[in-house]
Amino acid sequence: MRRATVSYEQLLGISVCLALALVPSLSSVPVWVLVTAAVSGGIRLLFARRGRDGPPRAVVLTVACLTVALLFLEFRTFNGLAAGTALLALMGGLKLLETNTQRDCYGITFIIYFVSLAALLEGESFWLLAYLIGVCWLTTATLLRLTTTLPVPGWRRSLRYAGRILGQALPLALVFWLFFPRFAGPLWQMPEEDRGAGSGLSDTMSPGDISELALSDEIAFRVRFAGAPPPPQERYWRGPVMHDFDGHTWKRAYPVTFTAPALQPQGQAYHYTLSLEPSRHNWIFALDWPSHWDLPRGALTSDYTLVQPEPVSRPLDVAATSYTQVQSSEPLGNIVRRRDLRLPPNRNPRTLRLAQELRGAHPDDVDYVRAVLDMFAQQPFYYTLTPPRLAGDSVDEFLFDTKRGFCGHYASAFAVLMRAAGIPTHVVTGYQGGTFNRFADYWILRQSDAHAWNEVWIEGRGWLRVDPTSAIAPSRVERGLSDAASADEPLASRWERRTPWLADTRLRLDALRQLWRRRILLFDQDSQQKLLEWLNIPEPDGQKLVMVLTAALMLVLTWLTWQVRREVDSTRKEPLLRAYARLCGKLAAVGMPRLAHEGAEDYAARVSRHRPDIGPAVAALCREYSHLRYAAAPAGLSVGGFDAAVRAFKPRGSRAS
Amino acid sequence: MRQAAIKKLRAWAARRHGQDSLPLRIHKRRIYILPTRFGLALALLIVVMLIGGLNYNSNLGLAFGFLMASIALVTMHHCNRNLLGLEVDAATTADAFAGGEASFDFVLRNYSNVDRRDVQIRCLSGAAIRSVAARSSEPVPVAVPTPRRGVMRIAQFELRTRYPFGWFHAWTYVQGALTAYVAPAPLGSRTLPSVAGSGFASRSETRGDEDFAGLRAYQPGMPLKHMAWKVLARGGEAAVQSHTGLAAQPEWLEWSSLEGRDAEARLSQLCLWVLESEAAQRVFGLRIPGKEIAPSRGVAHRFACLRALAFYGDADPP
Repeated sequence: MRRATVSYEQLLGISVCLALALVPSLSSVPVWVLVTAAVSGGIRLLFARRGRDGPPRAVVLTVACLTVALLFLEFRTFNGLAAGTALLALMGGLKLLETNTQRDCYGITFIIYFVSLAALLEGESFWLLAYLIGVCWLTTATLLRLTTTLPVPGWRRSLRYAGRILGQALPLALVFWLFFPRFAGPLWQMPEEDRGAGSGLSDTMSPGDISELALSDEIAFRVRFAGAPPPPQERYWRGPVMHDFDGHTWKRAYPVTFTAPALQPQGQAYHYTLSLEPSRHNWIFALDWPSHWDLPRGALTSDYTLVQPEPVSRPLDVAATSYTQVQSSEPLGNIVRRRDLRLPPNRNPRTLRLAQELRGAHPDDVDYVRAVLDMFAQQPFYYTLTPPRLAGDSVDEFLFDTKRGFCGHYASAFAVLMRAAGIPTHVVTGYQGGTFNRFADYWILRQSDAHAWNEVWIEGRGWLRVDPTSAIAPSRVERGLSDAASADEPLASRWERRTPWLADTRLRLDALRQLWRRRILLFDQDSQQKLLEWLNIPEPDGQKLVMVLTAALMLVLTWLTWQVRREVDSTRKEPLLRAYARLCGKLAAVGMPRLAHEGAEDYAARVSRHRPDIGPAVAALCREYSHLRYAAAPAGLSVGGFDAAVRAFKPRGSRAS
Repeated sequence: MRQAAIKKLRAWAARRHGQDSLPLRIHKRRIYILPTRFGLALALLIVVMLIGGLNYNSNLGLAFGFLMASIALVTMHHCNRNLLGLEVDAATTADAFAGGEASFDFVLRNYSNVDRRDVQIRCLSGAAIRSVAARSSEPVPVAVPTPRRGVMRIAQFELRTRYPFGWFHAWTYVQGALTAYVAPAPLGSRTLPSVAGSGFASRSETRGDEDFAGLRAYQPGMPLKHMAWKVLARGGEAAVQSHTGLAAQPEWLEWSSLEGRDAEARLSQLCLWVLESEAAQRVFGLRIPGKEIAPSRGVAHRFACLRALAFYGDADPP
């Protein structure tokens, strides 16, 4: 009976649902897959428009085999989200092509539900969830129209009914979600995926190339300090450290195993929580210099960057402690010293000459550093986000010809000058500054806050942070990038400075996003434990969680049963019928059930015959009921009064038998 | 194996609920529900979704998986509700012939404020599907094939629904005794025995409507066009005008005139003659072993004849 062929309109509905479900995955699915799916759907719709079936199965099967093989060649695997989503999109499109019966449509609805899930496994935003629940709603309404025989309910009715089912499902889903036990780690390791267009810091730094990072408004991470935050000139968030320079590009050193000189923290400790956004790297941007962190697999590299073994592929919260002042009394190891003094041979000759001249005048290391910084401050060096392109000896060109650049240029030039003078130096990349969100008391670090600075080794003091960029434009270190840059800054932030309320709105929205992230995205075992504690359950553990889940489910399911059955209760919304049903129930309990064919008066007469003791009372009640129900305008009677009388009526068990 | 399981379940349900009297209001305790093939596929999909959500440690993925699971659970309740409180009734049946169909006229009454959609009534191999709007009733004629002559007794029929979405299949068994009288298939020669010239004169061509011959007491089945309406209107007995034509010599449809054929073939021929005679408005009687029906005509007479043919050989005629 469900083999009926699908109509054009039904096909159109299900195609639209599939297309809407694929929207969030558009960027991760290869274009040709989308085109194939769209063309298949289009052809099928065209056929249906003319009242024809889809193309023969053999054709569809051939196309399917070819395209799936092609997809495998592209991805080399079907294990993993991107490949899986692409496969589903392809299958959905091709299934549409061969859809002739309502049965085939079930397959497509399943694909729609699964594609939605795949998008959610990747995604994090509230809007994505809301959108996909909307798609689910529409799909369910479409399914209702597909599976119902004539008369097919109209769109509005279908949507309302599907919405009602969705509404009744929400409390149940909430209970499942809150109390279903979470595991500490994944059940099995999935292949790590390249998160696609992930921006952020990279392994290398080429000051000659133009940085697009500075223009990105994307959020890198957020920080909440437990106490007062450090002053702006100490808010450096440490990322990858670059050691190897080939004359154009700075790279991280190939790993060498040695223990870094121990750091002795000084001054005030800062406690804070980092909320990292996903990236394709494994760096945890801790405040310079980290001393404690609650990341089980986190560790410091030999150059004091906090890392974890795997990339930060999901949002991650790390509580950490850092000291902005450190000292090291140990001497620098030879390997490190050699690494941080190495310069590419025969590159940047003018810079090397300059270094020799300056070093001659300033034999003391600290004096020399100061002299170089003074040079940056006094000579006409400019800070710009669109510096001229540099080729060949980039440091020479920058220092002597263009004199225009951003943090990377200055850090690179400074390091070369230091190394040429025999002072171990490396380039540290990371973030600096940040925007304070006064609505929720945390700091926002955007990609545009990315920064590069140097660390020089001063004997007896250890590594000393030097930020050569701050010598040129001190305001930049004080207040971040958007002041130093002018025409090149992101449009959004330019607007914000002109219209403060816009900036406020944006901060408020970000505070909401952060709340969503903390409460929903990062809901885990700990959160469940806190939830149970909040429910006053002593010593919460997994077993108690399952018990609470069961209890809550039973409660909600009871509510659901009542809610659903209430609608078919024919006496609902009619207090008079309900009161009469109550009366009949009471009489049935004493052995006098009303027969199906009996009217109220006949019933009363029969009761009077068999039970003279309660006969008059029953007769009076039944007469009242008849008047209320059938008389045009019963005088002096009310449904409420009748109901009260029925409630007060208490027949005793039969004495006759 | 599935058939055997269903048979067992039906027998068990019959024992559990006992004989039902129609009309029957469907109580919640007699509604059974199971997922359909699509429902099972959906369950598998949901399990995969939840494992995916857990494995990716994705709270949003889990939320969506749980939402789908909850939708399925709610749907189960709605599917069950689609039958709950519905009233089913069955009316008497019309004539049926072997090799044809008997039409059982069921009625579904919906006293609630919600529509009941896609309720199917299954009766042996016949089925019909209808929707019943809120606070209304809907006739559901179910055509059941009748391969054999005789009395067709249906001890149990089934109400089922897959609404909404076809993920679940809720059903209930009703033990309401239904009977259909299956007359033999009308086969053989259309030529009536009298015309075939078996010896006695036929006056069937004389309509005799013009020759009024007095009033006779009305018997059910007599043609209404002969009704003496004026007599009835004056408060008299129901009577029909008797015409000479009516008093014409009756024809007998005889079992014995069909010597040399087997019993079913004789019954088929007699059945065809009954139909033809009635169509020609003749007065006829039927004589078969064990039963003789006096000559008459009209719908009731025809019905009595067909029943007699249906019951032939039945040890226990009702």
